[in-house]
Amino acid sequence: MSVAPSPTLTSTGGVVVEGIEKSFGDVHALRGVDFVAAPGEVLGILGPNGAGKTTMVNVLSTLITPDRGRAVVAGHDVVTDPAAVRKSIMLTGQYAALDDMLSGYENLVLFGRLMGLRKPAARARAKELIAEFDLERAANRRVGTYSGGMRRRIDIACGLVVRPDVVFLDEPTTGLDPRSRQGVWDLVRSFKNAGITTLLTTQYLEEADALSDQIIVIDHGVVIASGTADELKHRTGGSYCEVVPLDLEEMPAIVAALGSLLPAENLAALTPESDRITIPAPDGAKTLAEALRRLDDASVELVDIALRRPSLDDVFLQLTGHLPTTETAPEVVS
Amino acid sequence: MTLLAARTEQTTTGSETTPGALVRHTLIQTQRLLLRWARNPVTLLETLLIPCLLLIMLDIVVGGQIQKFTGDDALYGSVPMVAIVGALSGAVASGVLLGRERDAGLLARFWVLPVHRASGIASRVLAEGCRIVLGTIAVVLVGALLGFRFHQGPLAALVFLAVPVLFGLAFATIVTAIAVFTAKASLVEGVTILTSLMMFFSTGFVPLIAFPTWIQPIVRNQPMSVAVDAMRGLADEGPIARPLTLTLVWCLGAIVLFAVPAAIGFRRASRR
Amino acid sequence: MTATTWHTHVRAAPDTVQQWWVLTTRLIVPSVKTGEVLSSIVAPAAFTASFYIPLKTVMMFSGNGFSSYAQYMMPLVILQAAAFTAISAAFRSATDSVAGLNRRFGAMPLRPLVPVAARMSANIFRLLISLAAAIVSGYVIGFRFRLDAAHTLGFLAFSLLIGIAFTLGADVIGTVSKSPEATTQALVLPPLIFGMLSTGLAPASQFPSWIQWFVRNQPVSQFAIVLRALAGDTAGNAGTISWSLVTPSLLWLAAILLISLPVAIRLSSRRA
Repeated sequence: MSVAPSPTLTSTGGVVVEGIEKSFGDVHALRGVDFVAAPGEVLGILGPNGAGKTTMVNVLSTLITPDRGRAVVAGHDVVTDPAAVRKSIMLTGQYAALDDMLSGYENLVLFGRLMGLRKPAARARAKELIAEFDLERAANRRVGTYSGGMRRRIDIACGLVVRPDVVFLDEPTTGLDPRSRQGVWDLVRSFKNAGITTLLTTQYLEEADALSDQIIVIDHGVVIASGTADELKHRTGGSYCEVVPLDLEEMPAIVAALGSLLPAENLAALTPESDRITIPAPDGAKTLAEALRRLDDASVELVDIALRRPSLDDVFLQLTGHLPTTETAPEVVS
Repeated sequence: MTLLAARTEQTTTGSETTPGALVRHTLIQTQRLLLRWARNPVTLLETLLIPCLLLIMLDIVVGGQIQKFTGDDALYGSVPMVAIVGALSGAVASGVLLGRERDAGLLARFWVLPVHRASGIASRVLAEGCRIVLGTIAVVLVGALLGFRFHQGPLAALVFLAVPVLFGLAFATIVTAIAVFTAKASLVEGVTILTSLMMFFSTGFVPLIAFPTWIQPIVRNQPMSVAVDAMRGLADEGPIARPLTLTLVWCLGAIVLFAVPAAIGFRRASRR
Repeated sequence: MTATTWHTHVRAAPDTVQQWWVLTTRLIVPSVKTGEVLSSIVAPAAFTASFYIPLKTVMMFSGNGFSSYAQYMMPLVILQAAAFTAISAAFRSATDSVAGLNRRFGAMPLRPLVPVAARMSANIFRLLISLAAAIVSGYVIGFRFRLDAAHTLGFLAFSLLIGIAFTLGADVIGTVSKSPEATTQALVLPPLIFGMLSTGLAPASQFPSWIQWFVRNQPVSQFAIVLRALAGDTAGNAGTISWSLVTPSLLWLAAILLISLPVAIRLSSRRA
């Protein structure tokens, strides 16, 4: 086993990353990334395009060697023992990499045999996965004819022919319809139940929110924030409710009607030019319903009332706006 | 008020079925197709560069031998042949493009515009014709550098230029009729093989007498040979009537047979 | 899907030989099933017919020192079969690369050289079929092995070596390219130019004087010279095997292999 000084490192599962740096010529893709994913944990890696998420996944899946730093995946160092890492991981790409000329079933058997299963075992496992992933009708068609959602499913299935310790899902639901996305989410939950560590890179806050135990936010090659979903949302203010009246003269009436729902700082933020009022919505739709009820009781006419979730932009605006002070803030990896 | 009043005078949508509409809409769409070709380096390569290259290489490799063998300049066979081959290979590329535009929904988009129903196909025919004329002129220019001359006067030269156009259009009709139904890679491969075979076994490659006697009847009467012979007669010397008649038979026959399926297929593809 | 009963407990236990075998059969079996492998047989046959039948009279009448055109032309048939296989190899490796399969393999417990070795094994399979078809085609038009068994084996081995060099180079080119279609289209040109402007079809003396130096010394001509010497000829002008005859070809082949092999290794390791 490779050197394991960190106490959180275990021999199976888990990912430890310390000070990873990677540059491509002038482009500094990763400038010192640190985080830990405990075994069986789902870690969401959030960040916009170009932040370094994909590079990070490439380093951890041994496709790239880092310039500096240390990374240990499933108990093996990615630099000194990459072959052992590759035995324990599963990687899916944004562009599901499969042999288009083969059928779904043949692809599964192919990957099964590549991972060391004997032919009968590979075939049995393929059939099992086809049933599990609901691909019976399409199993014998060429993968080139599959829809986007089906391709993702078969792609993920191909990575599960043997048991991985760590799974890297690289933007797995990009471009999928809601139903297919839900399927991938269910799958991630099953990984958790099976004790497999999952690293999920995504651009969507609600995806990281719904699935992750921990989230790290990467921007320009460094981790700018980490914590649970709730902690992050709390930091950015969480969901909020936006009220737009029909007649701006009615603003005072709205303020009165909302009452306790409208905190002091939001009230103070109102100016004579404001055309809408924002209130925090910690209970989401319930807050919205309550606000609507109060406004209705007061007979105020509205143009729009809506529940808005903080987008990734909001998160980043908050986080990068506070960058100088976050170094002292308690965002140390737990 | 002024806003509304201005609008009714700007648009010129009359009925989309008038002959004037046909001409106008066809020209617009033709321009789009030609612009598209001009901007695509691969098509330029195929239409202009490769035929000229082929001509030069044929002249280098077999030109001398044929001259020694028959005493005639081989150019009067190879220039026509290369012009026709250039016309044909471009037609294949257009067929593939058609299939792609169908799959991308572009054909359907054009179909629902208020344009004359026949302008879609007419524009493709016109664009194809323009491309073939340009390609032929390029080949003739390179041929001129190698020694090709028109010996039969300007009228014959014009008919000379028209033959590849007719041939190419007939071929394009066939390809379109197939492409709107399949447009797979096998189409491209199959057609390329066919055109290559036609090229090798034509009188443009080597003179008829160089072929073994058992194959001469086939070589003599196949579409590319008769077209090459017609063009040879129009530029240099030799019979014109027979080969030209046969060329017309082949081409018009193909158009008659395949135009209707091509048109039906085009409509179907536009409504996908 | 939230239950975990379907998650297996079996862990990865990769076996290099099995991996190589699996990746090789994945390339060969579908092409046999769809009949695509037939093109490896048809292409040499079509090439042979297309060049032999039209050219044999024209090229032979002034004499090239050989007993028959078939005997003279045979090396080019072999080389064309090798080039054709190489182009398919490039298409195959480009498709895999573009599909992201190489990236996937990179993250699996696969030794870096296994995918390349598997692709080359599949290429050699097609190469053997193509070469066999080429030799059969040669026999049909009258080619014969006129020397002893050692020379004949040398001919076969040398043909195979050329094929391996071509396909390895093509595999590398395909892997770095971004588009399978563009690659195959681009790769059509070199065989065309180097094949036609070589002594494969005609002796250098039959070419215009300004190009004779290139024709004589370019690699395809060198390969042709060696193959002819290994096959022999009743007229006695095929040349004899000697170091001075063979060295240029061996140098060219060594150059191709020495460049392609390290690049192939580096590409498949893909550790940036």
